[in-house]
Amino acid sequence: MEREGGISTKIGAAPPAGQAGASRYPVIDAIRAGQPVESRVHESVAEEEPVLSVRGFELFYGQNQALFDVTMDVPRGKVTAIIGPSGCGKSTLLRSVNRLNDLIDGVRVGGEMLLNGEPVYAPQVDVIDLRKRLGMVFQKPNPFPMSIFENVVYPLRIDGERRKNVLSEACERSLKGAALWDEVKDRLNDSALGLSGGQQQRLCIARAIVADPEVLLLDEPCSALDPVATLKVEDLIHEISERYSVLIVTHNMQQAARVSDFTAFMYLGRLVEYGRTTEVFQTPRLAETEDYVTGRFG
Amino acid sequence: MSDHARRKTPASARGESMVWLTGLSLVLAIVMVGLLLGVIGVQGMRTFWPRPIERVTLTTGEVVMGQPYETTTYEPSAADTPPEGLLTAETTGEDGLPLRTLYRVGNRDLGTASFRWVPAWQVETVERPPEAVMVERRTWGVWMGTFEGFEIEGGAIEPASIAEFRRRHAEAIEILEESEALTEGGLGSLNRDIEATRLSIRSAELRASNGDATRGLGIVPWLGAIASAAVGIGLFARAPLGRLRGWLRVTGAVLTLGFGMGAILEHPWSGDAPTAVELAQIQADAAAEIDGFRAEAQELEQRIAELRAEARSERAVFLDGSGARRAPDRDGDPSRALPVAQVVRVVTPNDLGFGGKLQVFLSRWAEFLADKPRESNTEGGVMPVIFGTITLTLLLTIAVVPLGVIAAIYLREYAKQGTLTSLVRIAVNNLAGVPSIVYGVFGLGFFCYGVGGFIDAGPADPMARGGGWWGLLALAAILASAAAGVGLLLGDGPDKSKMRRITAGVLWAAAALLAVYLVIRTPYFGGFFPERLPTPTYGGRGLLWASLTLALLTLPVVIVATEEAISAVPRSMREGSFGCGASKWQTVRRIVLPAAAPGVMTGAILAVARGAGEVAPLMIVGAVKSAPELPVSGDFPFVHPERSFMHLGFHIYDLGFQSPDSEAARPLLWTTTLLLLSIVLVLNLTAIFVRAKLRAKAGGSVV
Repeated sequence: MEREGGISTKIGAAPPAGQAGASRYPVIDAIRAGQPVESRVHESVAEEEPVLSVRGFELFYGQNQALFDVTMDVPRGKVTAIIGPSGCGKSTLLRSVNRLNDLIDGVRVGGEMLLNGEPVYAPQVDVIDLRKRLGMVFQKPNPFPMSIFENVVYPLRIDGERRKNVLSEACERSLKGAALWDEVKDRLNDSALGLSGGQQQRLCIARAIVADPEVLLLDEPCSALDPVATLKVEDLIHEISERYSVLIVTHNMQQAARVSDFTAFMYLGRLVEYGRTTEVFQTPRLAETEDYVTGRFG
Repeated sequence: MSDHARRKTPASARGESMVWLTGLSLVLAIVMVGLLLGVIGVQGMRTFWPRPIERVTLTTGEVVMGQPYETTTYEPSAADTPPEGLLTAETTGEDGLPLRTLYRVGNRDLGTASFRWVPAWQVETVERPPEAVMVERRTWGVWMGTFEGFEIEGGAIEPASIAEFRRRHAEAIEILEESEALTEGGLGSLNRDIEATRLSIRSAELRASNGDATRGLGIVPWLGAIASAAVGIGLFARAPLGRLRGWLRVTGAVLTLGFGMGAILEHPWSGDAPTAVELAQIQADAAAEIDGFRAEAQELEQRIAELRAEARSERAVFLDGSGARRAPDRDGDPSRALPVAQVVRVVTPNDLGFGGKLQVFLSRWAEFLADKPRESNTEGGVMPVIFGTITLTLLLTIAVVPLGVIAAIYLREYAKQGTLTSLVRIAVNNLAGVPSIVYGVFGLGFFCYGVGGFIDAGPADPMARGGGWWGLLALAAILASAAAGVGLLLGDGPDKSKMRRITAGVLWAAAALLAVYLVIRTPYFGGFFPERLPTPTYGGRGLLWASLTLALLTLPVVIVATEEAISAVPRSMREGSFGCGASKWQTVRRIVLPAAAPGVMTGAILAVARGAGEVAPLMIVGAVKSAPELPVSGDFPFVHPERSFMHLGFHIYDLGFQSPDSEAARPLLWTTTLLLLSIVLVLNLTAIFVRAKLRAKAGGSVV
């Protein structure tokens, strides 16, 4: 079983025995064989107004191709989840939106990506300005080694904001938005590193929304949290989605089902199926998707 | 019943012997270090504790008076063999050899050594007379003996008590101090005025003969040009400047315009060369001024001489242990008694209780820490030495920490990690292993003679004035703008072209090299202190160059430590910062550096500890046996980093190996070593304290 591109992945497993001949997974087999496949994008996606449009996007780490011809529209004001087995390129796609992959040597991209109609990858784009339009929360909580207050207002600080009242106001609004205000309002000047893991992650969310991003990017935000903290963060994502467009990467199917409006299933760098979460989970068009979301495959 | 093969664990695998071995090594190391510190501590503290004075009468009838230091056995030489039967159990050591005792006998002006071995078998009697005194004198070291009284007219002696002596001594010292204050303050400042006036004549003469190649060529337009250039470069840099850019642009334009206009209208580079008539006038004025100063100085000198004579008029008679000889006058003339003002302190150790001894101990420590050295460093205090050491260390820290941190930031954060950076890293690590004396030689050649000589007298081999130099300057400017232009095209994106990066780098390097060449061969700079030549000002050994040399020496330590601290900051934190829309510089400045600060401090501690204890390069670039003037003083410009200085490490070497009387210097040697160790300890503790504060501030740091 030859794979083209050779991105590192743990999904090297053969399909279930006895089905080698007439495979139950023709799409996956085609992907594994390196043949181009057409993504099954549901019509329901086209009904929404896109905030982020990805068109034929490709990404290479040196010689290795990590994303193949990804085309998807992320709807405005909704939560869109990207699911798929480890190494399928979902995090890479997310990090391509705010061009964090630029920091890695030898990364090349192809295709197009539009944020609110403006190109993300164009020579005249200032990466720093682009990142200011997006908020990002990472897999592991990464508060900065400074006070809670300074953590939250960091994006404003780097924009040169110095007025105390503006900062305090933004801090309070943002912490309330991240459902953390009541827990930390009395110790805003304490180090953020003293918070619990769940609190730290909500602090990171507060930091990501303080500058009013056009899209909030969440990269497996709950994978390092315990179940209680996970629940809190998921509730928070629900609330936030009323005000922001959210793109979330998760490998937890239940989480995708719980928090998202739309779900995209990726495999080995390709978009396999994409549609409303209810449709993808209940009436998927592909056997691969059905088996993946039910845990029988992947 | 089980037929499993039992696996065995051999004794060697348990590693019990290794535990013993490792523990033993640690104990050995601790014992050795503890022994060193213990010996230095005990000996250093003992120096100032008054020892008893013994009067020893020898079988030959000779009387030795002194303080016993140590008792050992010795191998008698042929001339010195004790006669048969004289050796008793009391005068023989455990190894069967005769015993002897080392006495500090002082009285160097009588022509004997300060220390004397007395074989025990020669001793008739030993007593500790309560009236025995140890007199510390301004010259000739200590006097051991007894106090008789004061010398009055005709050489007669007026008997007096020690208490009476102390009273009159205090009076005499007061007068002496007044005269010293006049010498240092009044006379010193007059001498400096005379020197300054003399230099102003020389300066005017130089300007008259050289035209504009002096400092008259105006440092101001040069500073202006540099400022404009800096602002110009600032226009190209984007993110770190932020909203400053507009302001810089306006300021830059105004500055450039202003200095350009000023340069064209005023020709500041043509200097203010005086005409022959003006020169004659300046010379005449200055000569008259100098005459005035001289007259004033003469008056002062007379007054000082009077005070000194008054202070010396009271003379005290001290006899030696045998009571036969008197402590002579300052110049060794035994016919005159010792002037009271010559005495620093009189101690009667046999007559003192614990409290009295403690008082002497403390007063000697105070003198040691607060006074200048006397007697070619073997007596008195080490205040200038402490001052020099601390100033040197501070300057070294100020120089090395920013430089090392900035270099490490570039190496780790900005430079593309590849062969070149690896080579640089290897080179930096190797620099740490270069013997320090090599740095000393380099510092002397580069800093003292090269940079210092340039500051003093301008370039040694300037280019001809005119088109050639200006043409090269224009070329440098073109290269720099070309480099900035190519650099601007680079952008931040993944489409960075290697070719462009290399081109920009080569252009920058060429522009920088050309700029350096233009500076070191500029015909438009004649030095800041040409009038003082051939006496060097900055062109000699001095505090500034010494600290820069040590900064160079300790730079690798700071770079390596900072790099490690920076790379220990987790990637997730940087990505978080970039994700917020922070630029590289903002991320480094606000996230990476604060998180790495404790690690950087560790590097600084190591560097400072190494720098403070270094001696070899200092002997070459600026530490001296005796520097009468501190690098910080009351005369303009108050800070004199070009002066040579005294340093504790060098002082120890000097006391131990360069003293005219190394035996006499030995007690002070221990104390000075103890002091150096204490200063290094205090510096380290301060840094560790600061680091702890930083760690607490970072809230459980990552480094």
